[in-house]
Amino acid sequence: MTRRGAVNVRYLLAGLVVVLPLLYFLATGFGNDPHAVPDVRTGTPAPRFDLVDLDGKHWSMEELKGKPVVLNFWSTWCGPCKYEHPLLLQAAKAYPDVVFLGVIYSDEPEAVRRYLAQKGQAYPHLVDPTGAIAIDFGVTGVPESFFIDKQGTIVHKEAQALYPQTLQPLLARIRQ
Amino acid sequence: MISMLGRGLVLGSLFFATTGFFGGAVAAMRKDRRAWLVTRNAAYAFSASMISANLLMIYALLVKDFSVEYVTEVGSLATPWWIAIPSLWSSLNGSILFWGGILGGYVALTVWTLGEKHKEYAPWALHVLMGISIFFALLVGGIANPFAPVAMVPPDGPGPNPLLQNHWLMIVHPPTLYLGYVGMSVPFSLVCAALLAGRLDAGWMVPVRRLMLVPWTFLTFGIMLGGWWSYEVLGWGGAWAWDPVENASFHPWLTGTAFLHSAMVLQRRGRMRDWTLVLGMTTFLLTLLGTFMTRSGVFNSVHSFTQSAIGPVFLVFIGISLVYSVVLLAMRSHLLDETARSVDGELGGRSDRTGGGLLTREFSILVQNLLFAVFTFTVLLGTLYPLITEAMQERKVSVGGPYFDKWALPLGLGIVFMMGVGPALPWGRTEPGAFSRRIAPAAVVGALFAGWSYALGFDKPYTVLTLFTIGFALWCNLYEFIEPVMQRVGARKESPVSAALKVFERSRRRIGGQVAHYGVLFAVFSLALSKGYRLERDYTLNIGQSVEDFAGFTVTYAGSELVTEPMRQSVVANFDVTKGGKAVGRFGPKMRYYPTQREPIVTPEVYSTPTYDLYFSLIEVSKEANATVVVRLIHEPYQMWLWWSAPIIALGSALALWPQRSRQKQGGAQAQVPAGVQPGGAK
Repeated sequence: MTRRGAVNVRYLLAGLVVVLPLLYFLATGFGNDPHAVPDVRTGTPAPRFDLVDLDGKHWSMEELKGKPVVLNFWSTWCGPCKYEHPLLLQAAKAYPDVVFLGVIYSDEPEAVRRYLAQKGQAYPHLVDPTGAIAIDFGVTGVPESFFIDKQGTIVHKEAQALYPQTLQPLLARIRQ
Repeated sequence: MISMLGRGLVLGSLFFATTGFFGGAVAAMRKDRRAWLVTRNAAYAFSASMISANLLMIYALLVKDFSVEYVTEVGSLATPWWIAIPSLWSSLNGSILFWGGILGGYVALTVWTLGEKHKEYAPWALHVLMGISIFFALLVGGIANPFAPVAMVPPDGPGPNPLLQNHWLMIVHPPTLYLGYVGMSVPFSLVCAALLAGRLDAGWMVPVRRLMLVPWTFLTFGIMLGGWWSYEVLGWGGAWAWDPVENASFHPWLTGTAFLHSAMVLQRRGRMRDWTLVLGMTTFLLTLLGTFMTRSGVFNSVHSFTQSAIGPVFLVFIGISLVYSVVLLAMRSHLLDETARSVDGELGGRSDRTGGGLLTREFSILVQNLLFAVFTFTVLLGTLYPLITEAMQERKVSVGGPYFDKWALPLGLGIVFMMGVGPALPWGRTEPGAFSRRIAPAAVVGALFAGWSYALGFDKPYTVLTLFTIGFALWCNLYEFIEPVMQRVGARKESPVSAALKVFERSRRRIGGQVAHYGVLFAVFSLALSKGYRLERDYTLNIGQSVEDFAGFTVTYAGSELVTEPMRQSVVANFDVTKGGKAVGRFGPKMRYYPTQREPIVTPEVYSTPTYDLYFSLIEVSKEANATVVVRLIHEPYQMWLWWSAPIIALGSALALWPQRSRQKQGGAQAQVPAGVQPGGAK
């Protein structure tokens, strides 16, 4: 059927009929990450809030417009929150143009004060006594961090502890 | 410092791989000995630098150097050394580095195995192997660089995925599976080498069969250990869920197994040559697809990583490898026509490319190979179907266990049946009457197994049929050993023990295959009974409360306790189990809390016996002492036999791999076998 130096066309066609559709289907899978859980808040304006921090100072979303914001829901009883705390301290010092705000989730302000006195504090922590703001943001557990750009739009929600590798690109996005 | 050194080692490996790639091509085309020596040394240097890079990363994980990016991802101050070492493969970039390290090991093994004996193939094989190595060195040195330095050095890290810290099996399962996956690149390189050299003879068959058997054994073991890990850790009491990543490891196992059998036909009869080459290539390509499935983030699986830049790059490599394989086969396979006729040199020129018939071992292997091919296609289709529907109809469809079970059962049974038919047939023709006389006792043994199954209450039609097939295949394989022993006892008046030892000594490879078949039968036996007759119930219990009759056992909740370790806290719920008033023991399934994890991790407790497993898995428990628990109890018959199948298969492989004494040294034993009897006793 084939001469020396000739191409076996049957093999070639049969192989390509299998190979090309396979590559096409695998390639179309990109961009549809099945692991990604879409968050309805992403891409929408951040819900308004008016809260008081542990020192009694008022903070509202209105006043923060024009600045990139990291809103971190956390509590002292949460293990992953303890892991990301030093990283947030570092980041708050390294990026003074970004407003870092902690929101205390289902925890006592006194317990938070004791924890911060021991582990360090570099940014304000807001008291949300009724959990209303957590509900507005659609928080399902802690830690959860919302990255809000200068226009007040939620760019990303991170529903797990922050790592150096994930934090830096997200900060770059909201600082643009 | 570690970042720089690690990057240097990886870039060094890239340089050596590139040198070997071009050196191999020059050595093969010009028959240049100096180029060959350069290639060989470059291959060894690649191995040394890739393995050193792996050791350096292990060192970084042990000393908790958080200036290295990968250590910040998976390292933790609280992680003990025995978890820090396996952290190397617990996340994406580290696992790619580990891939490279194992590839380095296989490259060295290949150079050592081929030595100076296979000069026609060795340079081409190393050329292909070094081409694969270039890709992985580029990946590790580029977008998957685990040695990248960290700008904001954290004081601590999160530690590896808690699921990976929960059981010792996670220390051995991934490396074993990787040894299977990565090793398939070696037979692939030898298949390509035969095509590039335009030559395929008996000298090629020996290393290719061995170098396929090594990774195939690891793959078998790796799949089984993965199932065992899933069973012991995930809390659902099962070993296999037809998850895309599980399927990814099964595809190359199916084609690799088909290759090991079709290679025998090629070696003995000089047939199925192109099919065998296709299987050798496909097995490697399916391991690439499997790696892609785990690392691209395209497939939805509990085992896979999220989407990253590695996916598209990997797909390009798969594309190049696929097209390269197809084009190589299309352009070069006809060049093998001349040399392939001498493949059966090992049997002294018994080549028979004509004749044969339905009642021949080669035909039974052809049928078995077709079943393997259909099985592979069926599983692959089910795995890829969600992607296909999403691409064509823009809707998400998932393919679950029922689809796979529906096909796996008849196809698997067919393969097990052929596992009995094959050994019952000789190479070459046989008379229908002789074949009937040979399989009649096997059918009787099958009927005994089916009767035993029915009598014990395992009476579903498919279970009874499976037990019949197991008995049938078991006898056929046993008789393939018994028959030559009986012939020696009858013809030479040797004692049965002495005859058995002599048959074992001169047919080790064949007996290795039979032992591997016994291992497969163990697995099928266990799957048929444990899956088909599983009893599962959930109970809510207060302290002191009992479940009175669960599969004949009384289970009493004795209370819970909180255990604190450096890297986690565990709530242990204790259950006292009795049967017929006699104590069986106290069992403590756990709920484990890791500091960086929002949700706790279930850790079941299993009581295993040869005839049943009793499985405890906590669904709900609080950290308060002696609180109410919700527990899942599972009773599975003959589950342990599944785990025993892997070492039996591995023993069979080891026997087949063990170097056989040459025929001259055996004193011309071949000539002394009674006339008309082929090796294996088949007339």
